[in-house]
Amino acid sequence: MSSCDHEAGCITCGDTAVEMTVVRVDEARGLALCAVTSGEGSETVETELVGPVAPGDELLVHAGTALQRVAGP
Amino acid sequence: MKFVDEFRDAELGRVVSGEILNLVEPGRHYKVMEVCGGHTHSIYKYGIDDLLPENVELVHGPGCPVCVIPMGRVDDGIVLAKLPGVIFTCFGDMMRVPGSNGSLLDAKAEGADVRMVYSPLDALRIAKRNPDREVIFFAIGFETTAPSTALTLKRAKAEGVPNFLCMCNHVTIVPPLRALLDSPDLRLDGFVGPGHVSTVVGARPFEFIPADYGKPVVISGFEPLDVLQSVQMILGQLTEGRCMVENQYKRVVPYDGNLRALEIMAEVFEPRPHFEWRGLGFISHSALALTEAYADLDAERRHSVPGVRVADPKACQCGEVLKGVIKPWECKVFGTACTPERPIGTCMVSPEGACAAYYNYGRYAREREVV
Repeated sequence: MSSCDHEAGCITCGDTAVEMTVVRVDEARGLALCAVTSGEGSETVETELVGPVAPGDELLVHAGTALQRVAGP
Repeated sequence: MKFVDEFRDAELGRVVSGEILNLVEPGRHYKVMEVCGGHTHSIYKYGIDDLLPENVELVHGPGCPVCVIPMGRVDDGIVLAKLPGVIFTCFGDMMRVPGSNGSLLDAKAEGADVRMVYSPLDALRIAKRNPDREVIFFAIGFETTAPSTALTLKRAKAEGVPNFLCMCNHVTIVPPLRALLDSPDLRLDGFVGPGHVSTVVGARPFEFIPADYGKPVVISGFEPLDVLQSVQMILGQLTEGRCMVENQYKRVVPYDGNLRALEIMAEVFEPRPHFEWRGLGFISHSALALTEAYADLDAERRHSVPGVRVADPKACQCGEVLKGVIKPWECKVFGTACTPERPIGTCMVSPEGACAAYYNYGRYAREREVV
């Protein structure tokens, strides 16, 4: 996942976030490996702010932290 | 693609565009401000303004955090980056923002250990791997980013990482909106509200805009149909004589936000009495500092920084762009002396800056052809 790319927009420092899908959960550390829902790339995400997550859950992620669950269109 | 294709449907876009055309009164000029840099980016990436009637004007707001950082804070960051033994970490765009005597990228070229990170957690990992060095994270962003910094500081404290420090530059969205609404320079009819800030703070903090200023607000997503529908909802309120906060981005924005995030932010941060915004000057209670409980992780308390106010270069008109008073291409140096490769002003640095968005998506050439 690219940051500071004018096509993708900056995922970190701007007021934007990306929708990601939970792939694997590390409950002990409050982290989850997530993949970008509509693109390429994955990252380890802090999940404390959204409560327990499971593989397949859709999250809105910004700067390595899940801010909300995505309810769908 | 899930949650993307649905919001980029060209046929639906044409339908909404037609409905907008039916809502506007001929002869009336509508000015709608999109608060977020992310919205500005979407508008020019997808050509959303081309789908609007000529009398509906989108005005860019101050919601790009890189764009509003004053030069003096960049200078302070560079002073910290150049301290012996320090690893200075920040987001990528921040590295290119010009201070009064160069950027963090220039400081890196001169030998300072400045590293780009994708999240505050990356900076904390660097601190854990380098226990003999001080790692300073340059925290920047609105309420979207502040929870991530707050969680990282909590982790650093809980895990006992004393070499991790934070230079806090987080800002909050409501005070600058109030400052803009109080400004005599600008007459606005409504606001496309900040979608991702609202995932944290909710829609409620924007109720003062209809209540005190009589302007509608629609919290909006960032896909093209999100933005187009939000403009339609604002025009709908104006046509029907309604004035309220509406939430177009319900798929991720609960009306009350993320209460857990707000709770953690309140534990870690407190409002600064004043903070300088590029183009808007000093605004009371518009930024965050670390609370006393986190004082030992505060880079500005451990080290002294100059804290000097630095005036923007005379040629740069970022201030007027950020207030929506002029369009990016009306700035004297736009696209000539100031380009994304060699920016003079902050609005040309971040892809979400109005100038960079205009420049990158060919708006400049198009405007010039029309002229």
